[in-house]
Amino acid sequence: MNEPGKDEPTGRQAKQLFDDSVERLDAATLSRLNQGRNQALAELQRSSGAVSWGRWLPATGVAAAALVTVLIMRGPEGVEAIEAAVTASDFEMLLEADSLEMFEDLEFFTLLDAVDAETNGNVG
Amino acid sequence: MSACAGVFAVSCSREQSTGAVTLQRERQLNQFLAEVERRALRIAEIAVRDRDEALDLVQDAMIKLARNYAERPCDEWTPLFYRILQNGVRDWHRRQKVRNRVMVWFGRGASGEEDFDIAANTPDPAGRSPDQELQTHEAMQRLEVSIHELPGRQREAFMLRTFEGLGVAGTAVAMGCSEGSVKTHYSRAVHTLRDKLGDHWQ
Repeated sequence: MNEPGKDEPTGRQAKQLFDDSVERLDAATLSRLNQGRNQALAELQRSSGAVSWGRWLPATGVAAAALVTVLIMRGPEGVEAIEAAVTASDFEMLLEADSLEMFEDLEFFTLLDAVDAETNGNVG
Repeated sequence: MSACAGVFAVSCSREQSTGAVTLQRERQLNQFLAEVERRALRIAEIAVRDRDEALDLVQDAMIKLARNYAERPCDEWTPLFYRILQNGVRDWHRRQKVRNRVMVWFGRGASGEEDFDIAANTPDPAGRSPDQELQTHEAMQRLEVSIHELPGRQREAFMLRTFEGLGVAGTAVAMGCSEGSVKTHYSRAVHTLRDKLGDHWQ
């Protein structure tokens, strides 16, 4: 019963005509079938992309939980210490236009820093 | 934080292996669809008697298979694909019934079948004479009309078993019924077709 066309004349003849009509499909129809197949494959890529993003969720969750744990363990003192360290002058420095220039000449300022350190070391 | 790094590393290695598996699956699916699409189109076309509608139904079935069943083993794809396609064909017939009822109510009958052109004036790739080609074309038209006139379930059973070559079990999955029902529908379909086409084919 697996290949009914072989056992039964009506089925066999029907199968022959059917296969013939499949072979005679025109180019425009074949092209549309091809387009449909490509859309289906694009859908597969989309859905597998969504799955791979979903796989990152546990890692993101662990990282977030670790961050929350660290903040809780440090407590309000830690937050105060950070707040105390950030003063108004720091913001002024950040907002100055010169600070951007400083980043452009970063190597020069690093060198300057090293010379200062060396000088202080010699003095000390 | 080392736990985070561990999870990240595992995720990265998983990502790489998942990418390779996805690529392989994509190739398999492409091969499967390329192999099945032409027959599926003709099966849908015989059922709905309209090539454009059949193309839409096949495309929908392809997309649904890729979206929902790509992870399933490849040998399950054929019956699943035809199940989706047959559901689409059934929905299409339901919509047509409603549409025809509305059209009749507004005084416009259903569109005639004379618009249906199966050969679409394509040249014969087998190089047969016009007479032979006409004979084959007419025989196929008679067959299509006879299959189309079968009750829906018999039509499905006959086309899946004969044209797609599905076994009884595969046809049962595709039709969403028992194997016993498949055998009954198929047997009745063959008897009806033999009675109708016997004069032309014997």
